[in-house]
Amino acid sequence: MSMNRRDLLILLAGFAATAGARAPVGMASRGIAPQRRGAPSGRPFHATFHDVGVAAGLRHPVTSGSAGHVDYIVESMGCGIAFLDYDNDGWLDIFVLSGTRRGAPAGENTNRLYRNNRDGTFTDVTREAGLTHQGWSYGVTVGDFDNDGFDDIFITQWGQNILYHNNGDGTFSDVTRRAGLLSPEPRWGTGCTWVDYNRDGLLDLFVSHYLWFDFESVPPTGKNPDCNYLGIPVYFGPRGLPPERCQLYRNNGDGTFTDVTKSAGVDLAAPGYGLTAVSVDYEGSGWPDIQVASDSTPSLLFCNQRDGRLVERGVELGAALNEDGKEQAGMGLAVGDFENSGALGFLKTHFSEDTVGLYRNAGPGGFEDVAMRAGLGVETRYVSWGAGIQDFDNDGLPDIFWATGGVYPEIERARADQPFKTPRVLFRNLGSGKFEQLLDLAGPAIQEAHCSRGVAFGDFDNDGDVDILIMNVNETPSLLRNDVVGGGHWLKVKLVGVKSNRSAIGATVIATYGGQHQAQALSAQSSYLSVNDRRLHFGLGSALTADLEIRWPSGAKEKISGVAADRLVTVREGEGIVKAETFSSASGRG
Amino acid sequence: MPALSRLLAVLVLAGLLAPAQSPQDRSGATAHAGAAARLMQERRYAEAAGEYERSLALDAANDAIRIEYATCLFAQERDQDARAQFETEIKRLGEQPGLSYYLAQLDIRVSKSEEAIRRLKPLTANAAFPKASFYLGVAYFLAGQQTLALRALEQAARDIPADPEVHYRLGRVYMLADRAADGDREFDLFRQAQQARRFVEETGHACMEALRTQPIERARAVCGRIADSHDPQRMLWLGELYASHGAHAEALGPLRTAAQLAPQSFDAWHNLGRSLCLLKRYGEAVPALQKAAALNPGYFDTLNLLAAALHASGDDAAALPVLERAHALNPADTVVAVALERMRAERSAAAPRH
Repeated sequence: MSMNRRDLLILLAGFAATAGARAPVGMASRGIAPQRRGAPSGRPFHATFHDVGVAAGLRHPVTSGSAGHVDYIVESMGCGIAFLDYDNDGWLDIFVLSGTRRGAPAGENTNRLYRNNRDGTFTDVTREAGLTHQGWSYGVTVGDFDNDGFDDIFITQWGQNILYHNNGDGTFSDVTRRAGLLSPEPRWGTGCTWVDYNRDGLLDLFVSHYLWFDFESVPPTGKNPDCNYLGIPVYFGPRGLPPERCQLYRNNGDGTFTDVTKSAGVDLAAPGYGLTAVSVDYEGSGWPDIQVASDSTPSLLFCNQRDGRLVERGVELGAALNEDGKEQAGMGLAVGDFENSGALGFLKTHFSEDTVGLYRNAGPGGFEDVAMRAGLGVETRYVSWGAGIQDFDNDGLPDIFWATGGVYPEIERARADQPFKTPRVLFRNLGSGKFEQLLDLAGPAIQEAHCSRGVAFGDFDNDGDVDILIMNVNETPSLLRNDVVGGGHWLKVKLVGVKSNRSAIGATVIATYGGQHQAQALSAQSSYLSVNDRRLHFGLGSALTADLEIRWPSGAKEKISGVAADRLVTVREGEGIVKAETFSSASGRG
Repeated sequence: MPALSRLLAVLVLAGLLAPAQSPQDRSGATAHAGAAARLMQERRYAEAAGEYERSLALDAANDAIRIEYATCLFAQERDQDARAQFETEIKRLGEQPGLSYYLAQLDIRVSKSEEAIRRLKPLTANAAFPKASFYLGVAYFLAGQQTLALRALEQAARDIPADPEVHYRLGRVYMLADRAADGDREFDLFRQAQQARRFVEETGHACMEALRTQPIERARAVCGRIADSHDPQRMLWLGELYASHGAHAEALGPLRTAAQLAPQSFDAWHNLGRSLCLLKRYGEAVPALQKAAALNPGYFDTLNLLAAALHASGDDAAALPVLERAHALNPADTVVAVALERMRAERSAAAPRH
């Protein structure tokens, strides 16, 4: 928009003042000051969050380098986290990725699978499931790639990505090589999402990469004089390191994949520092597009051409840059209909001293960033990561949450105003496109400071609200149990594809209730490199029923009227509701 | 528009304003303002704001200092505080183009589009504010007046074709107006402008490296790629690069071109005068530094150089008041203090006795 502080700094610096200056390093930020906060609305918020992670059995810290010091960027980016139901028992299990530590003994760090005990606790079943793995894991996507009825797991890594096939008996097998997904050389995979881009009913696989990195050639913290933040030596990157490209694999339907990056045109997109990947049908065309949040380079939006090709048009559609036409440090993406307009928009998280981007869907012209108009600009203090657009208090208006955390632990020792661990951010939706930050109204877990990255949203205790699972760097994960008291009604929708891929990834559901129309996308990755509960959750406010319009990934549309509230309905493609379940522990209007 | 002069365009009017205060307060206020100007140049804005506040505490009626303070707050995105200071000056001085230009940007930041439109409309024909049409287009867009937004942004694209931001905005408005072909054309121009900017940045770094490590003849081949005789910004950068590595003779050509193309550029005139001084071409340095001092009367280094050039040219009568102003801006500078004392003594000794 108007000239900002950073522009001015650059202008004032001139070139002479930068004698001895070098190419920019670190992450892009606008250096923007926060909007002034308005008076609180005084309206009640019916959701309260408590962190029950350790008590629930999530007792293993997620490793990401050494605590208190980061030498390399691979130690700083953290990783995603997933809600999934790997054993199809109707209760959400948890998959926690992990990084490692250079020189760590084998077996010290591993990704972990926690099985839901259906009593609010979890059991670590990593070893039994065959998922023990030590490495630098970053992103996760969950989907049934072979349509056998069990969710499979794909993870990205620095090194080699891994595809785990769910054997249906509580165990997984690494089928990466057999599937043809081994990379000829180690790369840094980050975002990943299942997507049926060619609508053949099989989940294809899209992978974004961050940058080119190896420990031998990248200098550690303190060895490159260019790398400092506020005068303190910090790690090198991302800027200054070679950016990477995305990759698309077509599912052959026989357990193998073919790299179609080139033939699909994905290789034509400019290289960037790609992170979270989301597949979603923004146009409502029935064909999924693919979006990538990119760090300090233009974010990407691959538009599906419906002929096997994807054309990157992020800049043209207003999804790549800020309003000034400049790159931001895109980390996470949350997709949702925050205006209840029946169209999907998105939220993109960024670095500190920058606002998040809140993009409304303006139709064929693309997207418009309304973050400032919506009031989100009051919070610019933190580096922002995993995010969601979710109705936490079931009032029928989707709220906004994001996790935060610093990237340079060294800074806080010298600068008390630059903490590494920072609180969570929650904005409640006031309606009419306005949001209000809840600093202390939503329970203690929102104010607790952690250095967080991935976030997943889902109802782990089947009580009719949305809980929050958070990956914390070198700490145990947080599990924010949401206790809604006196909130509105709700409806959960689980989709089962028939002609579409069985996971129904790529579907859009529009719920109409009480005069509101809310769209939700069923995606296989969002937030920050993470995976949400695939049961879509609609808060309904005072409405007792909702009408549903389902846009299946196959292109089929289905309408179901008068669905009763406060239950989970399972909809099978072409058959309507095949199952309706109420939850014994469900919260509701108190 | 080049560097510091963009920020300080607003100060042209302020430089003409005479403060009314006691001599003691005036000298204290001037010293704090001088310190603030130096801190601004070093991009230490928070500290500069403190110096401006101390200056205004001694001389609250000094419009020039308050305007500098307001721009310092603007630079820090302390929007509410900046607005308060600019509005104080509007009350004191009436509507002024420079004040309107900044206030309009603040209006846009808080979606006061109608107010921004009112302020910007008269500025679009004023060459001192080449980006006024751009901001006007943004304001119209915010106000939902798409046709007028397009008209203003199209004008901005003609006024400042090298600015990527303008093409990006225009492209986005075309897209939202369902004019995809026009949008695509602007996005091509956006990418070209970005590429050109990136080229200058990369060449600038290569030039610095060459100036550090190679003989000037070889470095010239690298640095010369920055030159664009139609682009004052690029010529200024090139001149500053040469000057910052001591290649003052090489710097003169680019800086002269920059000053000709953008005569309101403080940086061009100041750096040209500085290089001429360092080449001991004092007579030529004087007019350049006088222009710089007229554009930014509160900058110590310019006055210091100008006094030196005048003295070296044998014009101590003109040098003395300039040195006095420099001393007032930075009383802690002992070299200037000693020079002033000597010059006063010499002038006194040379004066006819009655």
